[in-house]
Amino acid sequence: MTEFLDLESQDGVRMPWNVLPGTKQEASNCVVPVSAIYTPIKRFPDLPVLPYDPLRCRTCRSVLNPFSIVDFAAKIWICPFCFQRNHFPPHYASISDDNLPAELFPQYTTIEYETPAEKSSSSSVFMFVVDICIIEEEMAFLKSALSQAIDLLPDNSLVGLITFGTFVHVHELGFGQIPKTYVFKGSKDVSKDQLLDQMGFFLKKPKPPTGVIAGARDGLSSESISRFLLPASECEFTLNSVLEELQKDPWPVPSDQRATRCTGTALSVAASLLGACVPGSGARIMAFIGGPSTEGLGAIVSKDLSEPIRSHKDLDKDSDPHYHKAVKLYEGLSKQLVHQGHVLDLFACALDQVGVAELKVAVEKTGGLVVLAESFGHSVFKDSLRRIFQSDDYDLGLSSNGVFEINCSKDIKIQGIIGPCSSLEKKGPLCSDTVIGQGNTSAWKMCGLDKATTLCIIFEIVKKDGPDVSIQPSSNQFYFQFLTYYQHSSGQMRLRVTTLSRRWVAGSGSTQDLVAGFDQEAAAVAMARLVSFKMEIEAEFDPIRWLDKALIHLCSRFGDYQKDSPSSFSLSPRLSIFPQFMFNLRRSQFVQVFNNSPDETAYFRIILNRENVANSVVMIQPSLISYSFHSGPEPALLDVAAIAADRILLLDSYFTVVIFHGATIAQWRKAGYHNQPEHQAFAQLLQAPHDDAAVIIKERFPVPRLVVCDQHGSQARFLLAKLNPSATYNSDAPLPGGDVLFTDDVSFEVFLDHLQRLAVQ
Amino acid sequence: LDPKALPRPLDGDVGPTPSPEAYSMNCNPRYLRLTTSAIPNSQSLVSRWHLPLGAVVCPLAEAPDGEEVPVLNFVSTGIIRCRRCRTYVNPYVTFTDAGRKWRCNICSLLNDVPGEYFAHLDATGRRVDLDQRPELTKGSVEFVAPTEYMVRPPMPPLFFFLIDVSISAARSGMIEVVAQTIKSCLDDLPGFPRTQIGFITYDSTIHFYNMKSSLTQPQMMVVSDLDDIFVPLPDDLLVNLSESRSVVEAFLDSLPSMFQDNMNVESAFGPAFKAAFIVMNQLGGKLLIFQNTMPSLGVGHLRLRGEDLRVYGTDKEHALRIPEDLFYKQMAADLTKYQIGVNVYAFSDKYTDIASLGTLAKYTGGQVYYYPSFQSAHHGEKLRHELARDLTRETAWEAVMRIRCGKGIRFTSYHGNFMLRSTDLLALPAVDCDKAYAMQLSLEETLLTNQTVYFQVALLYTASCGERRIRVHTAAAPVVADLGEMYRHADTGAIVSLFCRLAIEKTLSHKLEDARNSVQLRIVKALREYRNLYAVQHRLGGRMIYPESLKFLPLYGLALCKSTPLRGGYADVQLDERCAAGFTMMALPVKKLLKLLYPSLIRVDDYLLKPLVKADEFKNIMRRLPLTMESLDSRGLYIYDDGFRFVLWFGRMISPDIAMSLLGPDAAAELSKVTLSERDTEMSRKLVEMLKKLRENDHSYYQLCNLVRQGEQPREGFLVLTNLVEDAIGGTNG
Ligand SMILES: [Zn+2]
Ligand SMILES: [Zn+2]
Repeated sequence: MTEFLDLESQDGVRMPWNVLPGTKQEASNCVVPVSAIYTPIKRFPDLPVLPYDPLRCRTCRSVLNPFSIVDFAAKIWICPFCFQRNHFPPHYASISDDNLPAELFPQYTTIEYETPAEKSSSSSVFMFVVDICIIEEEMAFLKSALSQAIDLLPDNSLVGLITFGTFVHVHELGFGQIPKTYVFKGSKDVSKDQLLDQMGFFLKKPKPPTGVIAGARDGLSSESISRFLLPASECEFTLNSVLEELQKDPWPVPSDQRATRCTGTALSVAASLLGACVPGSGARIMAFIGGPSTEGLGAIVSKDLSEPIRSHKDLDKDSDPHYHKAVKLYEGLSKQLVHQGHVLDLFACALDQVGVAELKVAVEKTGGLVVLAESFGHSVFKDSLRRIFQSDDYDLGLSSNGVFEINCSKDIKIQGIIGPCSSLEKKGPLCSDTVIGQGNTSAWKMCGLDKATTLCIIFEIVKKDGPDVSIQPSSNQFYFQFLTYYQHSSGQMRLRVTTLSRRWVAGSGSTQDLVAGFDQEAAAVAMARLVSFKMEIEAEFDPIRWLDKALIHLCSRFGDYQKDSPSSFSLSPRLSIFPQFMFNLRRSQFVQVFNNSPDETAYFRIILNRENVANSVVMIQPSLISYSFHSGPEPALLDVAAIAADRILLLDSYFTVVIFHGATIAQWRKAGYHNQPEHQAFAQLLQAPHDDAAVIIKERFPVPRLVVCDQHGSQARFLLAKLNPSATYNSDAPLPGGDVLFTDDVSFEVFLDHLQRLAVQ
Repeated sequence: LDPKALPRPLDGDVGPTPSPEAYSMNCNPRYLRLTTSAIPNSQSLVSRWHLPLGAVVCPLAEAPDGEEVPVLNFVSTGIIRCRRCRTYVNPYVTFTDAGRKWRCNICSLLNDVPGEYFAHLDATGRRVDLDQRPELTKGSVEFVAPTEYMVRPPMPPLFFFLIDVSISAARSGMIEVVAQTIKSCLDDLPGFPRTQIGFITYDSTIHFYNMKSSLTQPQMMVVSDLDDIFVPLPDDLLVNLSESRSVVEAFLDSLPSMFQDNMNVESAFGPAFKAAFIVMNQLGGKLLIFQNTMPSLGVGHLRLRGEDLRVYGTDKEHALRIPEDLFYKQMAADLTKYQIGVNVYAFSDKYTDIASLGTLAKYTGGQVYYYPSFQSAHHGEKLRHELARDLTRETAWEAVMRIRCGKGIRFTSYHGNFMLRSTDLLALPAVDCDKAYAMQLSLEETLLTNQTVYFQVALLYTASCGERRIRVHTAAAPVVADLGEMYRHADTGAIVSLFCRLAIEKTLSHKLEDARNSVQLRIVKALREYRNLYAVQHRLGGRMIYPESLKFLPLYGLALCKSTPLRGGYADVQLDERCAAGFTMMALPVKKLLKLLYPSLIRVDDYLLKPLVKADEFKNIMRRLPLTMESLDSRGLYIYDDGFRFVLWFGRMISPDIAMSLLGPDAAAELSKVTLSERDTEMSRKLVEMLKKLRENDHSYYQLCNLVRQGEQPREGFLVLTNLVEDAIGGTNG
């Protein structure tokens, strides 16, 4: 395990298979696909940043790296990807065995280039898109959160504001005299050209007769742009006073109706405005949405309250009249945003669904952030928003304008990426015919990315089985190179290069090697992304069956057993937790979607698809820590048996952190013992899980929800739902902890039993 | 026919002939004037009369102090009206049957007197309570109406402003004057504390303003989708003035600077106008339009007309004087339906199609104010005064007016600015003291047998205080069988008023020439008829004779034909100016019209030179001169005053002392660029005081002072010479 973590801390990459199956057949027998879970701009404490341009292979454009073979005498390097011999340019003349440039240091497999000349002047742009169809109380929460955010904005960033309800109001913050907005009908689609015309962009500078209008360089006067996008330092006062007087959408809503909310139109207007004004700059649309969209193309439900908002069941039956129209709108929007290089961040705070399921495509393809909470007053929203603008150790490292490219050895092709990116449709020999996620390309746009953004890249081994397979010892390495161009939060354009080398094996003796290189956590995460993806894409897809088959297949292939003898079955430590991951994945929110709304599911999946392995594992299989007088904090089995009256449990399921007081602990606490000096130890015991929870919450985005509850209390369900039902209401012997789960789910023991039986067949 | 031989109204305007003693209870003629107060008893008499037979009504005419129309509250008893013809009880009804019955003077029906209204009769048959019953003694009364006279709760006074803020509007300074004036009038708008107010501004886009009282400043909302007009807020675009006072003031303070750099050259007037309609149509009220750039975008956009000179003098000429786009007439109909009255203020320096825009005012009982090539430095004062007058004069809201008359005669046509709701009901969404209406009547029977004919004007309206009221004017006139009697009781002012309206209407369907000819022909015919009548007695064949009552008619007829709406041909008056004058004159009360047709010309240099003048001498100085070149002495200084503007004419040989005292260093400058202002000289003070006195005669318009020097062309011709109605100018001779 630690070796995988070491690799991750060097390159930001985890691979299910660190020794690769060498042939197509071999790979398909391995069940879990050859893949890499890569965090392109993971923050490393001492990452070298080279102040010059990288050297590139003449043929395949890959970047000089430690795996290149260098002929110091001839001043030649051989590209490990295409074997092209490249001459070093004159300024590399002095290189020698003991005078290497940093990019050839063996430990610098991940390195960054920053060319000073490329200093980009464009500052970041924030377009706030604010729902005003919310009750006064929510409005007050939202206003205060926004004004805090405005406070934290970097002075040179540009800010714009759009509010929406029945209509879309684009605020002309630069007007200066009185608050001024341009109003658009929510039910009507406005094209970018119409928008520019109607907002008076061509009054002082005539519209160019031909060509695309793109910012101050092309077609627009900077004066007209600065009517709507102002430096934060200049418009803070205006923005705050607009927010202060911001009123709830004034159109009356009959009691049997939903408010008229034109989310889709508002976002379209925001996108078009940014597209016209600041194309190519790192702009973010930050949408604050407090209820379902009911107006215009993006409507997810009708205004009639008697019509419920679509559930998973409706989507399964394809019986919702709005869903496809809305998704189509947002697909179009995501294309536009990707083209412009802009990001959509979504803050959905409502008891109702707001349409995250429909909006997901736009958030994900642009690399946007998403936060889902019940209220704008909830800390999940408030603290998350603050985190975005905070600049300290826990800042998100928001970056923009990313382009991600892959090179790899010729026996490997790319099927695609599951994660927050969008294909740039750069087709080539590297692209597999099988497409998963964003595929059919070797380059991707990442409009928004941050230090946590993590892609799951799925490869395909194309080398055919054959007699010559095992007799080429010189080339038993596969190489991968990940190139990430991005605009660093400092404004500089940077290129990060990660070059990987992995040994491949083939033939009968390869099983041990494969198992030795198996990273079961990475594998679980890859499987989680895959199964979620397939559930969204493939009609009639049965995730349980698919996961079970995969697990059985994997265990058959890599387990130790005598045929037809379940009791003889055992798994190498490299594989031993994997079944448990799969068991929990089957029970997780990613697969058991019917327990949640489509919005929640979309939310969970967006986060899963952008998080690293460690965090994703927590989402799949929450961690549980137990606190008691008998011992220090210790990990506990995620099982109902972990509950005890004299224990405190800390459950981290990523989205929720639960502090659970056993019945006795709760009694003592209610009695106030912890306030008495003689019970200091109890006070400390009570405090310990809070401290640990604080550490978790501090580092995580979106900020998780903290639930503090007592055994038998109603909030306890947040814990119980995640526990293995080893004792249920229909099992014979109740556990000493006294809790049983009211569920018909099978327990892990039963699951494992079945698995062993099937694996050995 | 030599105009110089005609009698001139130099001693003041002609008033109506006083009523005989028998009709002393008639309403004051400021409210109702008949073209003749001797009503012909037969069709044949009517056909020989040749002049219009009818009335001019100014239902809300301003009354001098002490003569106000009494307001009577009949809410508890109900208003006493004839069961059959709905006539309101009036001084001409008679009580019989010991006071238990009353006979309607118009239809003769015997009505019961309701118990609460009963009073005994004295020996002469008069009610004993007569001295406490103004409705039985006065020709004009006003009843407070009970709820059955309402179709909805009385509306609050409501002022909505639709202001052009395009580049030309901003540069003219109009916006600033309008904003300042509105602000200065806020305390005096009628109807406190119920008054409502709202604003829309527009260029190529429509700007709404949220004036919610809780805001610290107004919020501007721009709507630019002109094809699909909507309002961005359900409320708060129209607010209670006293509640939102500070927001309204903040708005008016910012308005001029908000658009001072506006570069927008377009005008989405039509869409903005529709938006204003949507905002207002719940309540109705007054819509004041300030228009500078010709409507160029969206519904109701207009185009340049009148450029094709070949059209003039053909039977297509009149089309230029009526709206081309149906939008304007249709909207006017909708406005009236929703109790919205429109006043159009137009400021353009180019053609702006007043014919179309004015339609909105015409059919909603409003008026057109036209300030061509407005520049605030020059015309600001006039706009300030007239807008203030418009905003603060007493206004009757959501009104309808009907005029009833006795058996055998019938009103057949109505002329003025209003919309006819049914055959005889005039819809007047907002009406005030400066509006008059003319109507013609005809005999229904070949012979009238009754000796007296009664007329009753009833205006049902909502007063600014929120009361629903009915103002009733009653008058009686004798029926005569003698044409001479008719002529002797003719009222030149009323006749000219009717002629004026008929002629202007005729220009909307005929050539100008035809309109002028028909006026002249009727006057000539009438005078010939009169001469024939008396030729024998006077033995004066060949010479013109006229009754005393009609002695000024030929001159006024001549002046009418030379007035702006009717004068000359294409080159003589700009199309917009012609149309604007037409709309204005269609609404003028008699006195104002006569002043416009035959303005006063006063020589003032002697007065200015005299050291001291006693108050009673002032009247002498104000002596009017004939409107002819011969009146102008090149050593003199003259004031020409038509009630709408002053022209100060400086003779070529005027004493430099006068010129210097009045104008200072500007005396040598081109006078078109000079504005008269009070200087620190005795003469200047006297002149300014004099102009002030002249203006005090009538507040309905503000006379801006134009300066012109003798011989300054073409200004002199345009300002003075064409208006010397007695002189023959370029073929416009009558
Ligand atoms: Zn290469
Ligand atoms: Zn009657």
